[in-house]
Amino acid sequence: MPILQAEQVSKEYQLDGRTISVLRTIDLDVARGEFVVIAGSSGSGKTTLLSILSGLDRPSSGRVRLVDEDITDLSEDQLAPLRNRLTGFVFQGFHLIPSLNALENVMFPAELNRDPLAREKAVELLDRVGLAQRQASFPEQLSGGEQQRVAICRALINDPAIIFADEPTGNLDSENSRLIIELLLDLQRDRQLTLLMATHSHSLSRRADRIVRIADGMIVGEERQAP
Amino acid sequence: MKLRFLLRDIVHSRSQALVFVLCVALSLVCIVAINSFRRDVQTAIVGDARALHGGDVIVRSSYPFSAGLEQALTELLARPGVTGARSWEMFSVVRRADEQGSLLAGIKVVEPAYPLYGRIDLASGKGLAEVLRPGRVVVAPAVLDRLGLAIGDQLLVGHGRLVIADLITAESLRSVDFFNFGPRVLVAAADLATIRLVEQGSRVRYRAMLRLDDGKQIAATVAALEARAVADQELVATYATAGSRVKRLFDNLFFFLSLVAVFTMLLAGIGMQSSLAALLRGKERSIATLRAIGADSRFLLRHYLLLVLLLSSLGAVLGIAGGMALERLFVDLFGQFLPDNLVLGTSLTDIIEGLAVGLAVVAFFTLLPLAAIREVKPKAVFSGSTENRPRRRETWVLLACGTFLLGGLVVRQLADLQVGLSLMAGILGLIAVISLLVGGLLAALRRLRHLPLPLRQAVRSLLRPGNASRSIVATLAAAFSVLLAIYLLQANLRAGYIDSYPPDAPNLFTLDIQKDQRQDFHLLLGEEVPLYPVIRARLTAINGNKIDRRAERKGRGDSLTREFSLSYPAGGEEDEELIAGRSLFPAEPGGRVPVSVLDNVAKMGDMRLGDVLEFNIQGVPLVAEVSSIRTRTRSMLFPFFYFLFPEEHLAAAPQTFFAALRVPAEEVSALENRIVSRFPNISTIDVGRSAAELAAVVDRLALIVTFFASFAILAGGLILVSSILATRLERIREVVHYKILGADSRFVVRVFFLENLLLGLFSGICALLVGQFAAFALCTYLFEVVYQPAWAATIGLVVLMVLAVVALGLAGSVAIIRRRPARYLRELP
Repeated sequence: MPILQAEQVSKEYQLDGRTISVLRTIDLDVARGEFVVIAGSSGSGKTTLLSILSGLDRPSSGRVRLVDEDITDLSEDQLAPLRNRLTGFVFQGFHLIPSLNALENVMFPAELNRDPLAREKAVELLDRVGLAQRQASFPEQLSGGEQQRVAICRALINDPAIIFADEPTGNLDSENSRLIIELLLDLQRDRQLTLLMATHSHSLSRRADRIVRIADGMIVGEERQAP
Repeated sequence: MKLRFLLRDIVHSRSQALVFVLCVALSLVCIVAINSFRRDVQTAIVGDARALHGGDVIVRSSYPFSAGLEQALTELLARPGVTGARSWEMFSVVRRADEQGSLLAGIKVVEPAYPLYGRIDLASGKGLAEVLRPGRVVVAPAVLDRLGLAIGDQLLVGHGRLVIADLITAESLRSVDFFNFGPRVLVAAADLATIRLVEQGSRVRYRAMLRLDDGKQIAATVAALEARAVADQELVATYATAGSRVKRLFDNLFFFLSLVAVFTMLLAGIGMQSSLAALLRGKERSIATLRAIGADSRFLLRHYLLLVLLLSSLGAVLGIAGGMALERLFVDLFGQFLPDNLVLGTSLTDIIEGLAVGLAVVAFFTLLPLAAIREVKPKAVFSGSTENRPRRRETWVLLACGTFLLGGLVVRQLADLQVGLSLMAGILGLIAVISLLVGGLLAALRRLRHLPLPLRQAVRSLLRPGNASRSIVATLAAAFSVLLAIYLLQANLRAGYIDSYPPDAPNLFTLDIQKDQRQDFHLLLGEEVPLYPVIRARLTAINGNKIDRRAERKGRGDSLTREFSLSYPAGGEEDEELIAGRSLFPAEPGGRVPVSVLDNVAKMGDMRLGDVLEFNIQGVPLVAEVSSIRTRTRSMLFPFFYFLFPEEHLAAAPQTFFAALRVPAEEVSALENRIVSRFPNISTIDVGRSAAELAAVVDRLALIVTFFASFAILAGGLILVSSILATRLERIREVVHYKILGADSRFVVRVFFLENLLLGLFSGICALLVGQFAAFALCTYLFEVVYQPAWAATIGLVVLMVLAVVALGLAGSVAIIRRRPARYLRELP
């Protein structure tokens, strides 16, 4: 049974009376523990697909199932606990809360979940990614690579079933990109995580279990790679 | 192209632009309305000063004119081109002919030529000289209403029985009465002997008015009269220099309203700055992009300066139009306070002045946001934010110039350098103190470890970059504290003077009891009551320094130039205690007459023990030395005297007596009738009725000031809105973050609710502290009433304010809470 399932997902926008199709009848299954890369050029619809699959956006038509639950028509408040417990997000722009320090940013989802061990878990995660000494630093005091590592810790703190990552190395230099990729893949392997990543990085794509190629809002090909 | 770009910029940031325009308008509304109204009132009461004072030259005295002055007047009136009229004004009780009703009236006895200038309109439409013949009176409608009389009925005035011949519908020479104690009764001079109010020692204001056909002779005439007049007793003035109590009253009222208007203007200015900063903050990427493609600082500054000018002009037009509209409301707001001949209108001067004020305020408050444009670097295209850099030296110089300009404006508006500067310093100090307080509270809250998550986030949100938390709290607190202080002051004045009238305090004052009437007065009352001697006199010098009449009159409070009532102990001073001196009159130092001084007047004249005071007692000089200083321990409703002498030094002076009676309320009217029937020269004042009049005046004044102070609250609200707009992007980012991390909308609402609750609570607590302190100080030190903090009402008002802040804050964030996060994820930097 796939952990994530998209059936005939389409997304359209209205612009000046015209209908713009961003996604067209996408069908996609992602298995538990799988690392899937959604690859495509800029404007191909990668991020929109990721948003819809993760429940951050609603499709114009089609259905999305996440861990056996149809999330297509769920309200924001019904989605909130699913996002909190089942999913983690890593973005190109990091999206850390600027008024919280690194530790607080990592703790935040666990605190929302009323986890009494939030602090301990956050400390452990930061230690694991080499930021034990930067716990009290605010996002603006961290480098891009450090911010992304904090974001990864934040995505992992509630032991999610699936991580959605949108161009996680897009804002990083090559050295930091390499470090972040290694970190993500290590964690994915260690924790048996499902990882769905939108990227146009070839080096990153090569490490995935499967590459789903997308162009003009349609899946134009899939490559399953040997482990 | 440039204009299109400008308009698109405005349309794109229409919410911020709207708040900016409203702030500019708000900053001008009160100032324009008050200035225009003040000019109209001044035109009404001073512009036609001849009509107000009734002559080109006016001679006034509280005593019959001296022989020398009488001689000078006779000589002048004998000259061609000089006409004159005299009047005698006094308060006295008038009665129905059947003695079934009486009323304290403002009696004015006038000669046939009266009025030389101005007008007195009668209900019949006839001229005054035609109607006011011997044996007749013309009266204000209130006399008929309150005594139940009609035209043609008889009215007892003093010892005279006169027929009511007509009603006064308008009187240009009459002062506007805040207290409607004495409706007007005009009596013909031929009846002066009949009514016998002057001869028997009533307080009379003697006045002679001269009309000179040759206006150039005014100065010479004044000089001639002054040469013969008794100094400090007989005052000679022209229509232009004669002081007016009405003018003084309005000057004071407008001064306080100007204070409130300036306060509102400064708060609205902060709103302007905040909303423009929000607008420009939203443009940072555009500015960075423009810089990246080659636009220099001058181009950008010119562009946004033009934008500010365009919006300011719109705000100024709205503000001026609003001020003009507001002025129309004043007729209802001020009610009976306004002079009859007031004509409302907005002159070109009002408009130009409004525009100038607007320009100055806008220039000052938009300086910093505009200067910040220069700090936006092209690299913000990538990072989306601007580094905080220390301000350049030119910015500080401009800021200093702006402060100077604004200070000048405030001083000009208040026409008082010291008060203007104090006000600015006070407001800035108040805002600084509140800001520090809020900063401290936020820092302390931030350090608390075990706050619940939503509260912790709310505290962090208050500290978010660009959040004007401190200025919101400072301005809301400052505005609300003014309203709170007004409310508390009103409540305390009511409680102190009106509602809780002390049960043992006198409620009927009787004045002008003659020496030879004392025994009969006691017989009429059926008991012995303390009779306080009253000797009218003026203070002429302290330690040899003459009282500076001009300087004294410029002051807003009590004045040393007025006539004082001297007295000697007659019992009943047990509610006073000495604060300086061994006894009331220790051994006479240096052979001088000792005088005991009340602390109020001692403070006014900086008098200390041993100081030498010179008095003029109706032409007779008296030098005395301050032997003690007293203070009062009870309400001002009990009799007291500023200057007390040993009896032997005043026994021979012309004097009347004063009694303060405590009578059951239902018997006051009957006793008044009995007293004035038996002693027509004695005036009685029903203090209970006066208290009701006072309550109405206090309520009306409070309404006027509250009305103006409400605009300050509006300014606080606009600042809150502009802050919400300024931090919209940050709020969206927070909501998106909360949502993608799994927070539901209840959590987001809770954070925003708590954030606004904290803002409201901080503002409310600061306002409560400042308002209570200000009201306490005013009640205790200025009005001398026992202060009651009225906690229940105060807390109720604070809760209302907090609710309003929360509602406004949440309303501004609802649209953000509802959105799905995906849309913003790409847009957020």
